Amino acid sequence: MNRRTTRAAVTATATQWLLSAWFLLPMIPVMLWAVARTWPAPLPLPSDWGFSGFLDALHDSATSAFGASLILGTLTAVLATPAGAMAAYALAYGHLRGHRSLSVLLIAPAFVPPFVIVMGLNVTLLRLHVPSLAGISLVLMVTAIPYTTFVMRSAFAGYDVTVEDEARMLGASTRAVLTRVRLPLLAPALATSAFLAFLVGWSDYIVTLLIGGGQFVTVPIRIAAAASGTGNEPVIAALSITAAAPPLLLLVTVGLLSRQRRRRRASANPVTHTPAYLTASGALR
Amino acid sequence: MTAAVDLVNLTRTYPTASAPALKGVDLTVEPGQAVAVLGPSGSGKTTLLRLAAGLDAPDDGDIRLNGASVLHLPPQRRGIAMVSQRPLLFPHMSVLDNVAFGPRMAGAGRMQARNTATRYLELVELPGFGRRRTTELSGGQQQRIALARALAATPQVLLLDEPFSALDSELKSQMHQLLLELRAVLQPTIIMVTHDHHEAMLLADSVAIIIGGMLQQHGPAQSLFTHPQSLAVSRFLGGRNEISGEMRGRAFHCKLGVLRLADGTACAQGRAVMVIRQEAVRLVELTATDADTRGIITHAVAHGARTLVEVCAEGVPLQCEVPPGTPIHVGDHVGVALPVSQRQVLLDDPCPAPSRVGTPAVEHVH
Repeated sequence: MNRRTTRAAVTATATQWLLSAWFLLPMIPVMLWAVARTWPAPLPLPSDWGFSGFLDALHDSATSAFGASLILGTLTAVLATPAGAMAAYALAYGHLRGHRSLSVLLIAPAFVPPFVIVMGLNVTLLRLHVPSLAGISLVLMVTAIPYTTFVMRSAFAGYDVTVEDEARMLGASTRAVLTRVRLPLLAPALATSAFLAFLVGWSDYIVTLLIGGGQFVTVPIRIAAAASGTGNEPVIAALSITAAAPPLLLLVTVGLLSRQRRRRRASANPVTHTPAYLTASGALR
Repeated sequence: MTAAVDLVNLTRTYPTASAPALKGVDLTVEPGQAVAVLGPSGSGKTTLLRLAAGLDAPDDGDIRLNGASVLHLPPQRRGIAMVSQRPLLFPHMSVLDNVAFGPRMAGAGRMQARNTATRYLELVELPGFGRRRTTELSGGQQQRIALARALAATPQVLLLDEPFSALDSELKSQMHQLLLELRAVLQPTIIMVTHDHHEAMLLADSVAIIIGGMLQQHGPAQSLFTHPQSLAVSRFLGGRNEISGEMRGRAFHCKLGVLRLADGTACAQGRAVMVIRQEAVRLVELTATDADTRGIITHAVAHGARTLVEVCAEGVPLQCEVPPGTPIHVGDHVGVALPVSQRQVLLDDPCPAPSRVGTPAVEHVH
């Protein structure tokens, strides 16, 4: 290994550590608060340790808030991912008139403050007797669509549609083309879209508060309620760590599954029968 | 795995195009035969294949397999497979699953399809490649896999759209050999689009020339070179000698004198052009009895392994190819023999004549 290669390797490692520190350092106080019973200033570490923050959060309806956030995140992902994929497909291949205006319209919810969308809608939804969960999910879907559309549009830009023609000529029906070619090829982009949409639903505060009218309690709402008081630092820290867990878990799971899939493909021994070299006897006919 | 193909009066005009991509093309391919479709870029060759495969619909005409129209059938039910210039392998599948795709779609179980795929991998001389990712293969290997995948679907007709044009000459010749071997074993009906004259002659039983969306001529490759039916075909196939003149009876009157034609050669009377391949023209001694005319060598340039020589005879430029090592000097006086059996007289064409030796050639092939 020459000097230049060594220097590059050291720089890469140092950059990796610095970036990790950049993301992890702000989380250290939260993690310490979560396992602190008392932490008086100006002590650098808590004076008394314990899990009272987690226990108090559990006793204080944190489980139902966690469940509500999970449902909301999942519903947003389920609704916004196919909607974004279809919008992206139409924009990529639909030869739509005014597709530029449509693109701007689809991405608008990302630029418009959520208050603007929600303030008018909450009254309308109430008058129409739309259930809170349905109303919140629909509005969050609109909020998430710019992200899912953007991701899927990038995916379609790199997607060679001629492989579908190839599949059809090899006997694949429209459904088989979808399930065996298009979806597997777009799976990474779909997973990214779903993950982003899940995050939109999981971490939302404004839409849930205004449309739900405070009756639909999710983790962010629970954290905000705890943060509005004083002396709740361990509970707030425990809830914050709990809020970060599902997205991280999802990310790690998807990563592990992808790795496992790659390994399985690489190590698979799919053929048990190895026939002799074919002669001109016409055995293939 | 073979069928007769009849393309009847195929016509296709794309909405944004000013001229039709195909105009009334009729082409018949017998079962187990291979036809090479030659033509300049944009002449409608790929359109022809797309229509046959069902990826596009003609404005008019019919496509028949074994006499039955398949126009109403979607691509997956036509029994036609295609190998394109790009292999278009499925990147999310292993090599084996790519080849097994056709059998799987035909209803075979996973193991059965993979066993079939293994046999086809052996057939394209890539045994043991089944577990590899498609991205781990070279261009030539990918093209072999694409060929195996198309054949494993047991199509009635195999369409080849310039499948070897992206390969280097050595790989190309390996693929030619492979295709010849596959033809011997499987005897599929093949329609192959190519811009390579030599490839067409090597692999196909007959050659069809399409120029400007119209089928100009279809027949054995050799006859197309020696007896083109139009100046467009002659020029496309690289014919360089065109002698203007007039047909009177069975004789062709031109600046070189009176040139007679082979018995049985039919030609309309009046203004015409005699074409004769440069490979057929021979340089002879000035005093040789078989010299049809005499002239002076004006140009001599290396043309691959041979030398292309231009002789000016009675003001008419004549081109011929001579073997390497032939003592040729510009300014020499020579006799020129124009073999009677190779003379072909065609109706005059207002299109520009082929370029002369030493000047940039009009490139018909892209």
